[in-house]
Amino acid sequence: MDILRPDSLEAARAALKNGSVALAGGTELVPLLRDRIVEADTIVEIRHAVPRGIQGTRIGAGTTLGELEVDPQIPDALREACRLAASPQLRAMGTIGGNLLQATRCWYWRLKYPCWLHGGGRCFAHEGLHREHAVFANAPCASAHPSDVAAALLALGATVRTDRRELPIAELYRLPTGDDRRMTGLEPGELILELEVPMPAASTYLKAMDRKRFAFALVGVAAARSPEGTRLALAGMAPIPWLLEDESALDEATPLPGNAYKLEIARALIRRALVAVAP
Amino acid sequence: MARLIRTEKEVEGRYTEQWIVVDEDVLEQWPAGPLETVGRPVPRADGGQRARGEARYTADIKLPGMLHAAILRSPHAKARVRRIDTGRARRAPGVRAVLGPETGPLTDEPPYEGAPVAAVAAETSEQARTAVSLIEVEWERLEPLLDPEEAVRRNELIDEPNREERGEVERGLAESDAVVEAEYRTQTVLHNSMETHQAICEWDGDDRLTVYISTQFIWGVREEVAKRFGLPEDHVRVVCRFMGGGFGSKNGPGDYTYVAAELARATGRPVKCALTRREENLDSGNRNSTIQRLRVGARSDGTLTFLDGEFVNATGWDGWLASTGGPMRLLYACENVRTVEYGAKLNTPPMAAFRAPGFVEGTFGLECLLDELAAKLEIDPLELRRRNHSTHDAVDERPFSSKQLLECYRRAEPHWERRDEVRARSDATWKRGVGLASQVWYGGGGPPSYAWVRIGGDGRAAVITGMQDIGTGSATAMAQIAAEELGLPVDRIEVALGDSARGPYATISAGSSTIPSMGPAVRAAAADAARQLIEIAAQRYDREERVLSLKNGQIVSSDGGSWPLEEITGLLESGQILGKGSRGPNPTGMRVLTFGVQVAEVAVDVETGEVVVEKIVAIHDVGRVINPLGASSQVEGGIIQGLGHTLSEERLLDPSTGGNLTQTLDAYKIPTIADVPEIVTDLVDVPDEHLTNLGSKGLGEPPIIPTAAAIANAIRDATGADVRSLPITREEMLRALREASRQPAREEVGA
Ligand SMILES: Cc1cc2nc3c(=O)[nH]c(=O)nc-3n(C[C@H](O)[C@H](O)[C@H](O)COP(=O)(O)OP(=O)(O)OC[C@H]3O[C@@H](n4cnc5c(N)ncnc54)[C@H](O)[C@@H]3O)c2cc1C
Ligand code: SF4
Repeated sequence: MDILRPDSLEAARAALKNGSVALAGGTELVPLLRDRIVEADTIVEIRHAVPRGIQGTRIGAGTTLGELEVDPQIPDALREACRLAASPQLRAMGTIGGNLLQATRCWYWRLKYPCWLHGGGRCFAHEGLHREHAVFANAPCASAHPSDVAAALLALGATVRTDRRELPIAELYRLPTGDDRRMTGLEPGELILELEVPMPAASTYLKAMDRKRFAFALVGVAAARSPEGTRLALAGMAPIPWLLEDESALDEATPLPGNAYKLEIARALIRRALVAVAP
Repeated sequence: MARLIRTEKEVEGRYTEQWIVVDEDVLEQWPAGPLETVGRPVPRADGGQRARGEARYTADIKLPGMLHAAILRSPHAKARVRRIDTGRARRAPGVRAVLGPETGPLTDEPPYEGAPVAAVAAETSEQARTAVSLIEVEWERLEPLLDPEEAVRRNELIDEPNREERGEVERGLAESDAVVEAEYRTQTVLHNSMETHQAICEWDGDDRLTVYISTQFIWGVREEVAKRFGLPEDHVRVVCRFMGGGFGSKNGPGDYTYVAAELARATGRPVKCALTRREENLDSGNRNSTIQRLRVGARSDGTLTFLDGEFVNATGWDGWLASTGGPMRLLYACENVRTVEYGAKLNTPPMAAFRAPGFVEGTFGLECLLDELAAKLEIDPLELRRRNHSTHDAVDERPFSSKQLLECYRRAEPHWERRDEVRARSDATWKRGVGLASQVWYGGGGPPSYAWVRIGGDGRAAVITGMQDIGTGSATAMAQIAAEELGLPVDRIEVALGDSARGPYATISAGSSTIPSMGPAVRAAAADAARQLIEIAAQRYDREERVLSLKNGQIVSSDGGSWPLEEITGLLESGQILGKGSRGPNPTGMRVLTFGVQVAEVAVDVETGEVVVEKIVAIHDVGRVINPLGASSQVEGGIIQGLGHTLSEERLLDPSTGGNLTQTLDAYKIPTIADVPEIVTDLVDVPDEHLTNLGSKGLGEPPIIPTAAAIANAIRDATGADVRSLPITREEMLRALREASRQPAREEVGA
C-alpha cells in the first residue's frame, strides 16, 4: 500500500484514481482499511488539497470537529453536534468532510457479516439484534446513519461544494438500492471542499446515547429556525441523515421489534428542540 | 515452631481443605486506628512511573529475536474443521512456524466463537495476522446451543446443580404475612482489562522456560505450565512486574501462553502471544449472564420468614458454577433458605471469575427483592435490613470473625435521610430518588504466603516476595506495613515482587486476598528483622532489649538515648539483616466475611429513559485499612465498573449464530469519566481481632457488589418503576416506566 501526499488540489485529483482512496484525519478510514472493509492500493492524503478553517458561513472540509466545537460564530446546532460527537482525541483528528462520509456502525457490517449492504442477500439486523438501528427506511438495510454533524447540517440547510459541483446536503445522501448499495452520491475521486452553512435565527442539536459522552447517537435531533420555517433532522434513525416534516411524521416510522423505544426518545427530544429554537 | 495443620482455604467463595505448615502468628494486633504509617494515606510508590509511561508492562517487553504469534479463531459458535490448509500461511513473509489444530490447546472442533484453531509465529505481529488470514479452512457448521433455559431443560450442565437448603421454605411460607416473587436478569459483561491477555515464552534449552505474563498469580502460572510441559516447577520462571488489569480473568496461564510456549519451542526463539481487543472480548472470560427467580416472605414486622431462589447461570462452554445464590444464603438472618444454582453449558465462550463472581449478580436480585418487600410492608428499606441483621453465619452455624455491618448502617443514615430532599428536587421530566443495598463477600485470604525482609548497611529495607501487584497498590501497602514494624519512613522501603525466581511463594491476587494474605507475612518478616536489630543494638549500646524500640529511622531507648539505624547496620558493611515471615492460619471455626452498604442518588429523565447517577456513598467494613488513599481508589474503581454493569455494558450475541457483536469498545460501552458520579468512601476501620496479626480483609471486590442494586432501588424510589434486568439501558428504563404506569398504584396491590 502506497501513501501519497499531494500538495495541491490538482495533484490530489490526479492521484485519486481507481484503487486509491482519500485520507483526511483517518479516524474512520484507517480502521476500515485495517479490517479490509475498504481495500485500496494507494492512500492519498488530502490535507493540502482541501481547505481548512472557517470563513463567515463557509467551512473548509478539512476543518476538524475540535476546531468547530469551540467556534462561537457557527450555528449552535453544528457546534453542539461536533461537541457531542466522538471523543476529544478523535475530534482533534477527525474532519467535518470525513464525518459526513463515515460508514454505518451496524455491528454486522463492521464485523463483515456477508449482509445485504456488503453485497449479500439478507440483513442480519432484521432478525438479529438491532437496538441501535434505523426506524425509517429500514428495509432492505436497517443501518442507522451515525453522523451528528450531518443531521445538524441537514436541518441548517447547508450546501456542499465539491471539486466538481455544488449540491444541497440532502442530495449528498441516497438510500441504497438493489443495484447500487452506496449511501452517498459522490462520484469516484470526488472531493468535498467546502460547506456553506447559512446562519439560522436559532438552532440546536440534542443527542440521546448509551452513556454521557463518546457514543454514537441512538437518537439525534437537530432543529433550525429560519425565516422560511423550522427544519428538523435526525441522526441514528435512518440509513442516511433524515429530514422530518414535523413530530407527527414519527408516526410513519417502521420500527423493528427491538428499537421502537427510539421513537419515544425522538418525540421528547423533538419537543425540547422546538422549544429551544422557538422565537 | 512450624506447625502442620489442616485448614480451609477460600478463593472467590470456593472452599477447599488443605494441609499447610504455618508459623505461629505470635505478633499482637496493632492498636486500632492510624499508626505511624499504616492507616495513613500514602501515594502509590509506582504511581509516577505508571503515569509517565515508564512502567514496563508485559505488553512493553521486547526480547531480542522475539517473534509474534497470532491465532486463528473459530468464526462459528459450533463447528468442525473438515479440511485445513496452512500451506499459504507457511510460505507468507516473515512466518517462522505454524501450528494446526492437532497441537493442544488448539482444536478442530471449536465449541464456541473465538475458540483457538491454529496459530502462527512471524517476525512481526502484522505478518503473523496476515498469515492467519491465509489459512484456508473448510468448516462444517453445527447447530449451537445458546439458550441457558433450554440447556437446563436438556440437562446440559457444567456441573451438578448446587442445591442448598436450611430450615423449611414451606413452613416459612405458611408463616408469612407478605410474599414477594420476582424474576431478575443480569447480562454478560466483559472484563476489558486495559492490557489484553498476553504472555512471552522463552526457552533456555529444552527444559527451562521463562514466562513473562500479565497475570494475577505467577505461582499458579508456574505450576500449570510446569505440569503441562512436564518440567520441575523450579525450571519455570514466571515474571509479572506491572500489570494492566485482570479483575479475575487472569488467574491462570490461558491458551495464549501455551500457544506462545509451543511456538517458542518450535522456533527456538522467544514468542509473544498478545490478544487483540477483539480477541480479548471474545475469549478471555466474562461474567456470565443469569436468570434469577426469587421469592421472599416476611411477617408484618419485617422478620424474614423464608428466602427461595432458583438461579440459572449461562456459564458457557467451560468455567465453574459461580455462587449466585451466595448472598441469599449469607446476608440475612433467615431460618428457611433454599437455593438452587444451575450452570448452563452453552456454545458460548467460557466464563471467568470477575470481581466477586456470582455475588455481584446475586446481590442485584436479592437487594432489589428486599426493597420490593419493604415497599409492600411499608417498612423503611434500611430498617428492614437492620431487623434481619444476622449475628452469626447461619450456613454453618459459626460466629463471624468480625462484623461491623450495623456500624455501616449507622453511618449510612445521614445519606439515607437525604431522601426527601433529593426527591423534592424532581420536576416533570427529571425524577430523583435514593436507594441503598448491602453487601456480603469473602475476602479473608489465607496461608500459605511468605515474605522476606532484607536490611542493608545503609539502613534501608527491601521486602522481597513472589506476589504480584495487579494495579491495586498492594506493593505500597506492603511498604507501609514493613515501615511500621521497622520504624522506618515508607520511602526507605523497597518492594521487590513479580518474579517467581526472586522471592518466596505468595498468594493469588484474586478473591480480595492480597492484603489479608500477604500483609501479615510481610509484617512477620519485618518483625523478625526488627527483633534482630534490637538484639544487636542491645549489645552494641549496652542496653536491655526491652528498653529499645525502632522509630523514625532511629533506635530509641526509653532512657532517652537514640541512634540512627544506619549507625548499627553500617557496622556490618556488606552484611545484611534478614527477616522471614509467613501468613498464619485462619481462625478455626469462624466465618470470615466482608460487609458494606452503598447509598445511591439518581436522576431519571422519564421522557427519554436517561439515568444519571449523581452520587454514591460507599461504606464498607474490611477490617483494618492500611492505606486510606489506595483503599478509596479501589472503591472508586469498583463502583465505576459496577456503574458500567448497571447502565451500559453488555456483551451481545447474535441470537441465531451466537456471534459476539460487541467486540470493540465503540459497541461495548464502558463508562467514561463523564458518567462517573460523586463517590464518597467511608471505611469502618476496625481491625478483625481474630483474623491475623494485621486484622485486615481485602477490598478489591466488595465495592462492586451492591452498586447495581443501590442504583436500581434509587430508580424505583424516583419513579416507582421496577427495573429487574441489567443493564438499565434507555429501552429498559422506558419499558419499566411504561409497565409502572399501567399497573394500579402500589398500595392497591395488597398482600
Ligand atoms: C470511536 C469513534 C466514535 C465516533 N463517534 C462519533 C459520534 O458520536 N458522532 C459523529 O458524528 N461521528 C463520530 N465518529 C466519526 C468521526 O467523527 C469521524 O470518524 C471523523 O469525523 C472522520 O473524519 P476524518 O477526517 O478522520 O475522516 P477519514 O477517516 O480520513 O475519512 C473518512 C472517509 O471520508 C473520505 N473523505 C474524507 N475527507 C474527504 C473529502 N474532503 N472529500 C471526499 N472524501 C473525503 C475518506 O476517503 C473516507 O472514506 C466517531 C468515530 C470513531 C472512530
Ligand atoms: S442493517 Fe444494513 S449493514 Fe446492517 S446487517 Fe442489515 S444490511 Fe447489513
